[in-house]
Amino acid sequence: MIEFLTIPGVILITGALLLPFLPEKIRPSAFLIFPLMALFVVFTRPDGYSVTGSLIGYELVMMQVDSLSRIFGIIFAITAFVAGVYAFHMKELGQQSNALVYAGGALGVTYAGDLLTLVIFWELMAVSSTWLIWARRTKESDGAGMRYLIYHILGGGLLFAGILWHLATTGSLAVETVAQEYSIANVLMLIGVCVNAAVIPLHTWLADAYPKATITGSVFMSAFTTKSAVYVLVRMFPGWEVLIWFGAAMALYGVIYAVICKDIREILAYHIVSQVGFMVCGIGIGTEMALNGATAHAYSHILYKSLLFMGTGAVLYATGTSKMVHLGGLFKKMPYTFGLYMVGALSISGIPLFNGFISKGMTIDAAGYAGNETAMLMLLLASVGTWLSVGLKLPYFTWFDKTENDIEVKKLPVNMYIAMGIAAFACIFYGLFPNTLYTYLPFEVDYEPYTIYHLVEVIQISLLTFLGFWLLKKKMAPELIVALDVDWFYRKAAPATRLVFVKKVDEFFDKVEEGILAIARWLSAKFQNPMAWLNPFTKKGNEASNYSPAMDVVMSFILLSFLIFAIVYFV
Amino acid sequence: MKKIHWIILGVLFVITLGFEFTVLADYDSHWWNAIPAFYAIFGFVCCAAIVYVAKFIAKNIVNRDINYYD
Repeated sequence: MIEFLTIPGVILITGALLLPFLPEKIRPSAFLIFPLMALFVVFTRPDGYSVTGSLIGYELVMMQVDSLSRIFGIIFAITAFVAGVYAFHMKELGQQSNALVYAGGALGVTYAGDLLTLVIFWELMAVSSTWLIWARRTKESDGAGMRYLIYHILGGGLLFAGILWHLATTGSLAVETVAQEYSIANVLMLIGVCVNAAVIPLHTWLADAYPKATITGSVFMSAFTTKSAVYVLVRMFPGWEVLIWFGAAMALYGVIYAVICKDIREILAYHIVSQVGFMVCGIGIGTEMALNGATAHAYSHILYKSLLFMGTGAVLYATGTSKMVHLGGLFKKMPYTFGLYMVGALSISGIPLFNGFISKGMTIDAAGYAGNETAMLMLLLASVGTWLSVGLKLPYFTWFDKTENDIEVKKLPVNMYIAMGIAAFACIFYGLFPNTLYTYLPFEVDYEPYTIYHLVEVIQISLLTFLGFWLLKKKMAPELIVALDVDWFYRKAAPATRLVFVKKVDEFFDKVEEGILAIARWLSAKFQNPMAWLNPFTKKGNEASNYSPAMDVVMSFILLSFLIFAIVYFV
Repeated sequence: MKKIHWIILGVLFVITLGFEFTVLADYDSHWWNAIPAFYAIFGFVCCAAIVYVAKFIAKNIVNRDINYYD
């Protein structure tokens, strides 16, 4: 039992259950204790450590440690802590508890040794994160939260169906690599995981919901859902070739939309799709270097993406808007936020000395080493788009462009700066000392990021992209638009769907009900008096109708006896 | 952007070119290593391509009024 309570995911979920009993004042501080406890467990449990139990006759491995789960465990626990610091000023119990459950779900998935445990934590993540969207309490967030929840119930359902099918065919519940066979069980599980990894065209929940979540909620969201799915892909589907092309396509799709979008948090949301594309592509390549690259990139990505969401969240907090049209010219009013944001932006763009450089290059080079130069060039193209949209377009139109902006800027709570500072420090630290990250990777690392070739490559690309941006920046000027995506099919189709599946069905049931009632009315009118049918002497003209009912019965009985006798005799 | 910024970026670019033609002169792991300043050209062309493709898609296919879904 004690062992069960020391599972990192369970620690955070226990914390979420304890929070409501604590006074409001100490809740934000208590929040931070649980990720630290989880981090302690993550660091102290050796390879091969496991916690087992049984449920409805199945032996469950609720926690299993190896190098792959450890590195994801470390970053999830750290992010839960940093995001907790960022949300320190926020007093809402619902958001605090759900954020802890959400982080606990991600940690639970990371350490799950069997598929049943995994799917339980998986569903916990979906439900708790929905709260972080609804907590914004706007009409848009209500709708987006519902679409998000439905999408994830569908994805979780597919995963669970795949797991049951897998159990029925193989008899195994272990979380392990599955052979590259397109059996029903494997395909169901893969699609279920791909929903959470936001693989196109199943990505729309992300771009729809993340910009509409609460300021602090989106920091949590940027870290857990997609990256826990990346973990499961690394664990179960390494080397599945289809992932290479879906990954590369995601990387490009995300950046194109990031250039199109005009809402700073929407740009970042689409950028998650793009960055996860790098990881998915690496997983598809499946060599040790590529899996290392995908894992390292997930680690770096969580750090800089949460930093970016914290930076844009700070802008939203201070100005009340995330629409680029209303922003611009904020440099004088929010210089520190700009500086901290830029650390994240330079990291995500893979600029030397920042942590994106040490992981993105590894993934891209892994594609090259595996002989897949097309995928490599697609990823390089996507990194141009990353630098262009998140590194240049977003900060330019938020902090510069206009010379003055008379928008009212609220003061930021100190804890927001501290959280951004911690994340920025980590981004630079890992950029300067890549081996501190490389030692935790699942396979041995034979990769040196700081070679002259890499530096020349990245600096040339970045400089000339910058020049391109400067010349063409007017083409990306902010406007008030919404960019349609494939969610159009279910958002615009909603009225038609409602007509066919709700309204028409309702009308059909109405008609049937009316028919049944009409039949009932007719029958009750006809059979109001059973005697009218059972007694042959009811006609008024008939003298026998004047007899008493008792006589009726006797006479009827005699007649019936004659009838039966006649039938028996003559037949 | 002040003039000095452009000069710094220009000098940085020249330094990378210098390295490319000296230290990396014999480097050959991909077919594009034979093209001089490939990554610079790649960066500029791809940047322009992404901007124009995104603009084209935005204008002709996906952009709608902000209240489209209301």
